[in-house]
Amino acid sequence: MYTLGIDIGSTTSKCVILKDGSEIIAMSLVQAGTGTDGPSRAYAEVLTKAGLTKEQIDYTVATGYGRNTYAEADAEMSELSCHAKGVHFMNPECRTIIDIGGQDAKVIQLSERGTIANFVMNDKCAAGTGRFLDVMAGLLQMPVSDLENYALRAEEPVKISSTCTVFAESEVISQLSKNVDLSNLVAGICNSVASRTAALAKRAGIKDVVCMSGGVAQNGGVREALAKELGTPVLEVKYAQYMGALGAAIAAFEKNN
Amino acid sequence: MSTAQILEKFHAVASNPAAQKKKYLDAGKKIVLVTYYTPEELIHSMGAVPFTTYGGDIQVNDAKQYFPAFICSILQTMLEQGMNGTYEGCSAIVIPSLCDSLKCIGQNWKYAVPSIPFIPMTYPQNRKPDFGKEFTKAGYERVISEVEAATGLSYDDEKAAESIRIYNEHNALMREFSSLCAEHPEITAQQRSDVFKSAGFMLKEEHSEMVRELIASLKQDAPGKAKKRIYISGILADAPGLNEIFDDMNLQIVGDDVFAFERQYRTDCKTSTTNVDALAEKFSAMDYCSLLYDVDKKRVKMIPAEAKRLHADGVILVLTKFCDPEEFDNPMIKNACDEAGIPCIVIEIDRQMQNYEQARTMIETFSDIL
Repeated sequence: MYTLGIDIGSTTSKCVILKDGSEIIAMSLVQAGTGTDGPSRAYAEVLTKAGLTKEQIDYTVATGYGRNTYAEADAEMSELSCHAKGVHFMNPECRTIIDIGGQDAKVIQLSERGTIANFVMNDKCAAGTGRFLDVMAGLLQMPVSDLENYALRAEEPVKISSTCTVFAESEVISQLSKNVDLSNLVAGICNSVASRTAALAKRAGIKDVVCMSGGVAQNGGVREALAKELGTPVLEVKYAQYMGALGAAIAAFEKNN
Repeated sequence: MSTAQILEKFHAVASNPAAQKKKYLDAGKKIVLVTYYTPEELIHSMGAVPFTTYGGDIQVNDAKQYFPAFICSILQTMLEQGMNGTYEGCSAIVIPSLCDSLKCIGQNWKYAVPSIPFIPMTYPQNRKPDFGKEFTKAGYERVISEVEAATGLSYDDEKAAESIRIYNEHNALMREFSSLCAEHPEITAQQRSDVFKSAGFMLKEEHSEMVRELIASLKQDAPGKAKKRIYISGILADAPGLNEIFDDMNLQIVGDDVFAFERQYRTDCKTSTTNVDALAEKFSAMDYCSLLYDVDKKRVKMIPAEAKRLHADGVILVLTKFCDPEEFDNPMIKNACDEAGIPCIVIEIDRQMQNYEQARTMIETFSDIL
């Protein structure tokens, strides 16, 4: 049996195809999210990679912000529930998931069985999200993927506001005008995201093992800063950006059995 | 008339307060705007219509010049509606001083809405001792004289007894309706909200008549298919976007601690030396509210206890953004629910919200957990 999970986020669309609920057959990621052609492109791409046709997919579950408007899905499920399923599948030891996506951050506490014991989401605000890093990378005229390299070289990170993206942007401009070392500035930006996320995580409660999913999990600068803030290691889940789609594919398998 | 038809009447009132206002004004009635803990019985006894305002689900434009961005949107939209003419024709507005945000609306209202006199009701912090009751009574007497000046109507303590009776009867009917809702899953969150919300835009004796008819009809109906049972708490939960999510997720509200819903109907007024004394006694007897000073924070334990009594599967704390009194209580309530083994989440709402996607995601996840 083939099941498909599609995670339609604010900035990206991800798909995962599972065989019999346990074997990942193919994955796709398109840098375009809800309200664009991203979901259909990601869907077509994952089918091509898997060598399957639409008709061979037994059940499809959509998740993410665009889940309610995706016509190809048989059912939809919230991204929190899907992330929990996906991370538990990849790392059954995980008890706390920190997921920083394009426009929100979530902290999920898992039981031993992988069910959600508690969760919190951030305010409707770009601070502490992937969008914050996008804005900052744009300001510094570098790709988001370069932030990690700079942050890990920092010796004396500067302080950047964790309250508001707009305030933080003007702080960064002010630091740039003082010719502050770029590594220290980038580390300050990563610390700012980590500080805000850590506050959210402490509200939900931290239990080891702590794992990070979502696009920002790939940024070692944020992961390191978060580990310092929480006083515990923060592991990057394999295929971090696909956890929502993977969880949706698992949910599709469960719903069809 | 079927239950559905009766509920449609409540919806018509709840969704069109302007029509209600016009109806009363056309009938020659004076309307006085009221909100949390306004002594409505006094205003009612003078022959005026106490008309509830908790602001509205609108965008704030003009009122922004009077407030910082991070302040309660109920307050902001209340002033916006005052400025945009929504309340035109009303004789006065009575605002109690029970939260820091409400305390600062008066100075702005006087400048921004000069056509509608602002009447403050200053409550004591310590409402239970005799000196507290005296303070409350003095506040009520001031409200009476200012409402008299604004409306040209006069207060008669003997007439207040009848208004108190009408309000006590209405309280009892609303409590009975709420209990019935716990047994009737087919009543949607939106319909339940309509019944509570419409009470603010009608004379209580008229609303009681409709609620009585609804209760009689509901008692004839067989309960619908079971849903997941939730208990909700907060200041407001009337936004159609929010209630739509509760209904989409197949959640039944089996009870609440929402001020604009059940919380205001818990305490009846008993007799005393005068009816003003009786109402001051009533205020002193009120409890279990974030707006009322309580060193023991009894509300914190009351919520999980009520949720258990009503066999609720979970508790949803509907937090009005920037509502300090509720924000102080919520972590304690969440902990109390956790200790009681009752799943609990906090969702933030705002009068100006156009998009409830984040709330939907949280409620959908919560429903999965339940």
